[in-house]
Amino acid sequence: MALTLTCPVCGKRNGYEFRYGGEDKGPRPAEGGLTPEQWCSHVHMNKSVAGIQKEWWVHRDGCGMWFTVYRNTAGNTEVPEHDLSLKSQNRDGEA
Amino acid sequence: MNRLTNLPTLRINPAEELTFYYGRTNFSGCYGDTVASALYAGGVRIFSRSLKYHRPRGLYSLDGECSNTLMTVNSIPNIRTENTLLKPDMKVDAQNVMGSAENDMMGFMDKLDFFMPAGFYYRIMHKPSFIWPIFMKHIRKAAGLGTISPDFRMKGVYDEIYPVADVCIIGGGAAGMSAALAAADSGKRIILIESRPWLGGCFDYRIHSYGKGKPLYLRARELAAQVEQTPNIRIFKHTFLIGAYSANMLTAFQTGGENDSFDERYIEIKSESFVVATGCIERPLLFENNERPGVMQISCAHRLAKTYGVLPGKDAVFSVGHDTGLEAAIDLFDLGLKVSCVADIREDGHDQKLLEELAERRIPFLGGWAAARVHGEKHVNKVTLSKLDGTIQRHFHCDLLVASAGLTPVTAPLSLMNAGFEYDDHTGYFLPVNMPEKVFAAGRITGLNNPSSIEASGRLAGFMAAMASGASCKNEIEDARKALAMLPGPERGTKFLSVPVSGRKTFICFDEDTTIKNIRQAIDMGFDVPELIKRFTSAGTGPGQSGIPGHNLPLCVANYTGKCISKFRPTTVRPPVVPTYIATYAGRKHRMTKRTPVHDLQVKKCGVFRLMGVWERARYFSDDFTCRNEILNVRNNVGMLDSSTLGKFRIHGPDALKALQRVYVSDMRSVRNGCIKYSAMCNDDGCVIDDGVIVRISENDYYFTTSTARAGQTIEWIRYHTKYDDWDFHIVNLTDSMGVINISGPNSRKVLEKIADSDLSNTAFPFGGYREFSVAGVIPVRAMRPGFVGELSYELHVPSSWMQSLWEIIESAGKEFNIGNFGVEAQNVMRMEKGHLILGIESEQRTNLLDLGLGFLWDRSKMEAKTVGAVALRQAENDSGRLKLVGIKMDDSQRPPRDGSVIVDKRIRGYVCTARRSFSLDTVIGMAIVESDLSNIGTELEIFEDECKAELIHVRVVHMPFYDPEGKRMKM
Repeated sequence: MALTLTCPVCGKRNGYEFRYGGEDKGPRPAEGGLTPEQWCSHVHMNKSVAGIQKEWWVHRDGCGMWFTVYRNTAGNTEVPEHDLSLKSQNRDGEA
Repeated sequence: MNRLTNLPTLRINPAEELTFYYGRTNFSGCYGDTVASALYAGGVRIFSRSLKYHRPRGLYSLDGECSNTLMTVNSIPNIRTENTLLKPDMKVDAQNVMGSAENDMMGFMDKLDFFMPAGFYYRIMHKPSFIWPIFMKHIRKAAGLGTISPDFRMKGVYDEIYPVADVCIIGGGAAGMSAALAAADSGKRIILIESRPWLGGCFDYRIHSYGKGKPLYLRARELAAQVEQTPNIRIFKHTFLIGAYSANMLTAFQTGGENDSFDERYIEIKSESFVVATGCIERPLLFENNERPGVMQISCAHRLAKTYGVLPGKDAVFSVGHDTGLEAAIDLFDLGLKVSCVADIREDGHDQKLLEELAERRIPFLGGWAAARVHGEKHVNKVTLSKLDGTIQRHFHCDLLVASAGLTPVTAPLSLMNAGFEYDDHTGYFLPVNMPEKVFAAGRITGLNNPSSIEASGRLAGFMAAMASGASCKNEIEDARKALAMLPGPERGTKFLSVPVSGRKTFICFDEDTTIKNIRQAIDMGFDVPELIKRFTSAGTGPGQSGIPGHNLPLCVANYTGKCISKFRPTTVRPPVVPTYIATYAGRKHRMTKRTPVHDLQVKKCGVFRLMGVWERARYFSDDFTCRNEILNVRNNVGMLDSSTLGKFRIHGPDALKALQRVYVSDMRSVRNGCIKYSAMCNDDGCVIDDGVIVRISENDYYFTTSTARAGQTIEWIRYHTKYDDWDFHIVNLTDSMGVINISGPNSRKVLEKIADSDLSNTAFPFGGYREFSVAGVIPVRAMRPGFVGELSYELHVPSSWMQSLWEIIESAGKEFNIGNFGVEAQNVMRMEKGHLILGIESEQRTNLLDLGLGFLWDRSKMEAKTVGAVALRQAENDSGRLKLVGIKMDDSQRPPRDGSVIVDKRIRGYVCTARRSFSLDTVIGMAIVESDLSNIGTELEIFEDECKAELIHVRVVHMPFYDPEGKRMKM
């Protein structure tokens, strides 16, 4: 697999060792008063960004840790967090 | 032995003879030979017959660029014999021949070319429509490559590795080796891959001077020794690039040598940066019958002699376009080849020294001439040379024509990496433009030809690649850049294609039998770019992956359309760049199975094992797969079962209960000490994914079981659904460290009482209880009283290391009661009689908790737990259109329907989950999932089975459980 990911425990490893856990959608909503539609969109609806998105991965064949990474879905590469802040700074600078 | 034995450049050992078979004939080759070089040395000139026309085909490039030398080796078709090392006792056969390659009865096809113009397969013989199937059958029979037997089993060991590097260098020639050495200086990890079994590239076989009197081959040996002594360079020889992908990944495969533990291995390389130093191949010169056996490229003839010690002919004519051709003519003349004439496309710009050497040897030289036609039915016997404009012709008798229009870079790896290409007028090459990030080209691929320039460009690329991977070598780069600038730059090349020819037998693509005439036909029909012409004429779609037509096709299109060559590009290259075994992709046998601690003890008892998930489990203990005796022994006496495959977990810590509340549908606060609690896990859609029992060991410390299939994912699942909560708990997977023995049957208490140091009476250890005691004073047992099979039953959880001992202790204690083994199938029937479920059999992906009648497990009051699946279950409660699990019974005593058969009326309304003959009840019963309107007691159902010939099986919906509805027996 072309992808490598940085596990917070084990470091940079081959993407084969990980399992994808979906986009980062925030904590589970409270159960009370939730409409089926709201629930469905939390569970099933995705933004499917073509670009950088925050997502969950588990180091299945390693330490078993769930963690979030930023991944560029267009090139299938992990974006380190410091690069991310640099990019947003640049964008702010241009604006 | 007809070999040149005293050459210092040889890569064979003429003293070590290997015998092999070609057809039914014995042949011998030398250690180090390829299959093709050994056959050529043995006098074979026709290696195969071409795809469409069955034309004789021979050795042409010696690097596997065309299908000419694809043969069947040891029953494997399409082996690239030019790249395959000879091994003793190989069995080699020609392909696509009726008879032999030498005398092919399909040879007449060559005369039928008028019948097969460009794109004939799509547009000729289709009208009237009924004739096409007839023609298609014959065309397919007559055309093709090798055939494979349906029972063929691939032999050998296929491995895989996934190395990581800082710099990866493709090509182990002088440029690649120089790049590796330069990059290695920085201490970075280097990988060097080379397709030949040795390093050296185009230096390897040449005695031409490198400067200071040193021949090129010695310089190559020198570099190779340095590279091999550098510890941070990892070398993969005899390794072929398959593809290049995003995020700096390359795939390749390596052919194993005699000391390797594999026959082939798949290599997936990840590297920060790359150097592409793949060098050049020759651009074929086009003329009539340009692929007749006896016609070969310069480096093919040159390497046959210098590397393999085989003089390629007796009497040769050369028609070349590059100084390497002159060099080869001189070399081969000195080795004893008669050279009647050397024709060169170029009228000026030759290396003067080489011309002088030709003159010294009195070899006639024609500047501005090229081959126009080859004569001879099966082999070259005469060549017509012509001035480039076709005005003057001369004929030469010969048995070898060394022909080449010039060099052209191997652009496939760069093409895979998404580099662009532009035609360069000076070199006549398609040179890379818009190089991808962190990819650098070096050596002949950039148009250089001077040996020192090749090495200097390698060094520069090596330093740049090291820097791209994080090394600091700015100064080295500057120095290398200056050094390269001092040396000769790219040399002038030729864009010549052919003298004026009719093109009817002038082949631009050998693999697909595509002629210049076919290309012209395609252009006349309106195809105007190489990509489309390639598809319509199939030029370049063969196993050689455009090695032969690659750069000639755009030139040819430009010539015929009269458009500027700069408008055209070579066609896109896609993986696999060279044909790759499926076995190589598959790699090692990935199927790994687990055995329980008492596997061998069950083997002794004649257990019949089946693969269930990752486990090998004893399914039966006799040839009677209905398991009658196993079942009756449990129902009436006592039996023992190995249940070690159950998932077993410990979860502990201050927030353990919260985590259990999240994933289990029941209220886990109600787990009482000394009792087991049965519950289920759902996914967010309310569909059941797992069931098992939970035991509270102590404060914040729980032990729970999962189904066999879910054991692998359970920790991941619980962690996933608590990932935002920052709860403090730990989960330990005890599946492999704990084993489970189940003792069931009315006599099971009597057996266990003999060995346990604890009161097992029904009041001291009732149904649904959990106790800890020891057996034989030392074996710590966690015992449960479940009711899965519907009898008095104990489930003993013990450390795996004690499993064999406990198993044997129970066996001897149970001897007086005639305790017997029962397997998974017997358990399956008995639990079905009780109406107990096995998830995955009585459920599928969309089956929710309520469909299975397990709604009583769900505690809807624990909203604060945000239970996984609860929201969906709330919604599903009001959904009338769901499927329901029901018990079914057959009124007459036919055989039971097969598991998975569908329940039908006018359409499919459900399916049978499990159905068996029940010996306990003497009738056929089972469980089925049906649409809810068919779930009422007494409903007649009709079951369809494959091949039942419309005779449907009739069953009735009945109450469950079937056996012991009050559950008295398991509570005894």
